[in-house]
Amino acid sequence: MISILGRSMVLIALAVSVLGAFAGIAGGMKRSEQAWKWSRIAAYVAAFAMTAAIGLMEYALITHDFSVSYVAKVGSTTTPLWVTIVSLWSSLEGSILLWAFVLSGYIAAFAYMTKGKYVEHSSYAIGTSLSIAVFFTFLVAGVADPFVAMETVPTDGPGPNPLLQNHILMVIHPPALYLGYVGMAVPFGMGVASLLAGKIGAAWSVALRRWILLPWGFLTIGIILGGWWSYEVLGWGGYWAWDPVENASFLPWLTATAFIHSALIMERKDGLKGWGIVLLLVTFLLTLLGTFMTRSGVFNSVHSFTQTPIGPIFLAFLGFCSFVSLVLLSTRMDVLGSKQKPVAIVSRDSMFLLNNLLFAAFTFTVLIGTVYPLIHEAMTEKKLSIGEPYFNELGIPISIAIVFLMGVGPALPWGSIDKKDAFKRLVIPIGGAVAVVILALVCGATGFTPLLSFAVCGFALMTTLRELLEPAAVRVKRKSEGWGTALWTTWQKTRRRTGGYVVHIGVIMIAVAVTGSGAFKDLSEVTLKEGQSVEIQEYRLTYTGKETVTESHRASEIAKVTVSRSGRDIGILEPKLNNYFRMGTVIGTPAVHNFLDEDLYLNLVNMNEDGSIVGLQVITQPLVLWLWVGGGVMMLGTLISAWPARRRKKVSAEVKETA
Amino acid sequence: MNWKVMSVGLLFCVPLIFVLAKGFNYDPRALPEELTGDPAPNFALETLDGYPVSLEELKGSVVVVNFWATWCVPCLQEHKELISAAEEFKPKGVAFLGILYGDTKAKADGYLKKHGSAYPTLLDDAQRTNIDYGVAGVPETFVIGRDGTIVKKYTGPVTKMELEVLLNGLLAK
Repeated sequence: MISILGRSMVLIALAVSVLGAFAGIAGGMKRSEQAWKWSRIAAYVAAFAMTAAIGLMEYALITHDFSVSYVAKVGSTTTPLWVTIVSLWSSLEGSILLWAFVLSGYIAAFAYMTKGKYVEHSSYAIGTSLSIAVFFTFLVAGVADPFVAMETVPTDGPGPNPLLQNHILMVIHPPALYLGYVGMAVPFGMGVASLLAGKIGAAWSVALRRWILLPWGFLTIGIILGGWWSYEVLGWGGYWAWDPVENASFLPWLTATAFIHSALIMERKDGLKGWGIVLLLVTFLLTLLGTFMTRSGVFNSVHSFTQTPIGPIFLAFLGFCSFVSLVLLSTRMDVLGSKQKPVAIVSRDSMFLLNNLLFAAFTFTVLIGTVYPLIHEAMTEKKLSIGEPYFNELGIPISIAIVFLMGVGPALPWGSIDKKDAFKRLVIPIGGAVAVVILALVCGATGFTPLLSFAVCGFALMTTLRELLEPAAVRVKRKSEGWGTALWTTWQKTRRRTGGYVVHIGVIMIAVAVTGSGAFKDLSEVTLKEGQSVEIQEYRLTYTGKETVTESHRASEIAKVTVSRSGRDIGILEPKLNNYFRMGTVIGTPAVHNFLDEDLYLNLVNMNEDGSIVGLQVITQPLVLWLWVGGGVMMLGTLISAWPARRRKKVSAEVKETA
Repeated sequence: MNWKVMSVGLLFCVPLIFVLAKGFNYDPRALPEELTGDPAPNFALETLDGYPVSLEELKGSVVVVNFWATWCVPCLQEHKELISAAEEFKPKGVAFLGILYGDTKAKADGYLKKHGSAYPTLLDDAQRTNIDYGVAGVPETFVIGRDGTIVKKYTGPVTKMELEVLLNGLLAK
C-alpha cells in the first residue's frame, strides 16, 4: 500500500517538475506573468508531493513495514527509534529521496519569496532549478526507487550500517550536508537566469548572495559535524584526513566562499560579474562531482559504504550540466558586461581579487590532489595514493595567506588610498600578531609554520574586532551613548557586515584550533592491568575494571578508566568496543574529555577475555574544542547575515532594480 | 560566442570527466602494485621444520608466494584453494611457499595440522621479507615468473581458478 502511494507521490512530483521547468523557462523568455505563475504553482505542488513521499517513507520505517524495499534493506525491529528514523539517509535510495525532497523545498521557498520580484530573473531561475529537480525525482522514480514492493515480505531486516548507529551526530551530519549540497541548485538556477537574462542588477546580486549564504552555512556545519563525527566515532584521533569524500564537500565550499566575497564587488562596483557567475555554476557542478565521488565507488574512502551503481548516471548528468554551463557561459557571459575599472594595488578591491585568486588556487589544488590517483592510473595503469603531505604542503600556505588577507582587506578602504594611512591601520593588527606569538611561545609552541599561523590569526583577529567595535566607538564618542546601546544600534544597522565579521571570528578560531591540534598532537599506547595506573604528561590514568552493556542491537565492552590531571580528579572515561549482532562487526568508540586548552582522547585497542588487561591508546591534542566552537560562531554569523532584512529595505532594493 | 571561455572550459571538463569515467574500471581498494614487473626481492628463510629455503635457488621455475596468518579469516577461506592449486601445479614444476605474517610457529603448526598443508611455510621472524614485498595485510599472494620478476600480486583471498589461468599461461610461455 505504502509502496503504491509513495511511488504515486514521486511520479506526481516528477510530472509537475517537468511542466514547471518548461513553464519557468518559457516565462523567462516571453516575460509571461502567466507562465511564471504556473512554474511557481508547479514548485509548490512538487514540494507537497515530495513531503508526502518522505512522510510515507518515515511511516513505513517506524512501523517496520518490510513490504517496502528500502525498509527491508535498512530497517530492523531491534534498532532504537531514533536510529530507525535516521536510517532514512543511511543508504542510497533513502538519501536520494531526501535529496529530492530538500531540493523541492528549496525551490518552493525560492518561488514563494521571489513572487512578484526580480521579474527578469525569477522565472528562469525557477525553471532551471526545477529541471535539476526533474533529474533527482527521476532517480527516485527509477534506478534508486525506495518504494519497490517486496514480493516476499521479510519479517526483519539487517538495520543500518553500524558506524551510523554509533553516534548521535549521525542524525545531523548528513542532512546538514544535503541542505548545503542541494541548496546550491538554487544559486545555480539563479546564475543560469543571470546569463539568460543577460544582466545582473545590484538587487539581483544581493539576492544571489543571500540564496547562496544559507546553503553555504549548512555546508559549513555539515563539514564541521562530519569532522566532529569522525573525531568522536572513528577513533583515530583526527577530524580531517583529506579523504576524497571530505574533499568533495570542501570543494564547493571553497568556490561558494569565493563567490560570497566576489558578490560584494558585483554589488558595489558592478564588476567581476562573469567571474561570479562562473563561481556559482562551478559550485553546483562541484556538488554534483561530490555526490558522484561519494556514490560511484571510484574513490576509496570512509564513506565507501555509500557506494552504488548509480555512478555512471551521475557522471552523465555532471557532463551534461557542465556542457550546458559552458555553452551558456561562452555565449552569454560577455552580455553581462563588467564595468569595473582597474584598481589600486593596495586597496580593499584588490584584496578581494586576491582572495578570489587564493580560493580558486585552493580549489584547484584540492581537486587535482583528489583526482590525481585516477589520472595516474589512467596513464600508467599503476596505483598511487596522494596522502596528507601533498594537501598539507600546499593547503597550509594558502590557508595562512587567506587568514592574513582577512586581516589586511578590511583594514584597507575601497578605491585608491594613501599608503601611509593604510600602514597606520595595520599597527594594531601587527600588535595582535606579536602578542599571540608571545603567548604561544610561553605555552610552549615551537616551529616556524605553527607560529606563523598563530601570528596571522592574531593579526586577523585584531582587524576583525576593530571592524566590529569601531563604528560603536564612534557613536559612544559623538553621541555619548553607552557601549551596549551603541553596539546594538550599529550591529543592527549593518547586519550583513556584522554577520560577515562574526563568521571571520569563527574562521580564526578554527584556524587556531587546527594549528594547535595539528602541530602539537601527542600519541602513546599503554597496557594496563586492573587497578594499575600510568602517568602520561600531567595525566594519571587508572584502569578500574570493565563493564559489559547489552542492548537490543549491540553488546559493548566498556573499560572504566579513572583520570586525574595534575592531581585534580577529572572523572571516569569509558572507551568502548561495540559488537553489532546483525553485522558481526566490532567497532570501537573512543572516550574524549574536552578541556579548554586540550583534549584527552582514549581508545580501547584491545581487552583480554576476562577484562583484567586492556590496551589503551592515549592521545592528547591542544585546542580541539575551539574547532567546534568556531563552527558554531560561523553558523551564528551566517544567521545574522542571512536574516531577512526589514520590509523597508526590501522596498528600496526593488526600487533600485527597476531603476 | 566567446571561444576563449569555451576552450578553457572544455580543456578542463573533458579530461576530468574522461578520467572519472575510466575510474569505473578500477578498484579503489586495490593496493599499489609497484612491484609488478620488478625482480622479486630475494629471501632466505627457514621452514616451520627448520629447513633453509631461498628464492634464489628456485630461479628458473614459477613460484607462488603466499603471505598468511592463523588469525586471518580470509586466509582460511583461500587455504583450500591454494592447497588444491599446489597439488595440481607442483608436478608441473611450480613451487608454492607460504610465509607467516605476524604470527607464531606454534600457532601455525596447529593450524596446518587442523586444516591440512601441501607446501612449506617459512618463518619471517625478522619481518624483513614482508617489508621487502610491501605486504600491507594478509592474505597477499605474489606470483613470480621463471625469470625471477613479479608477474602478479593478489590482495585478498585468491581462488584456484584465478591461479590456474595465470599459471597455465606462464607455463606455456
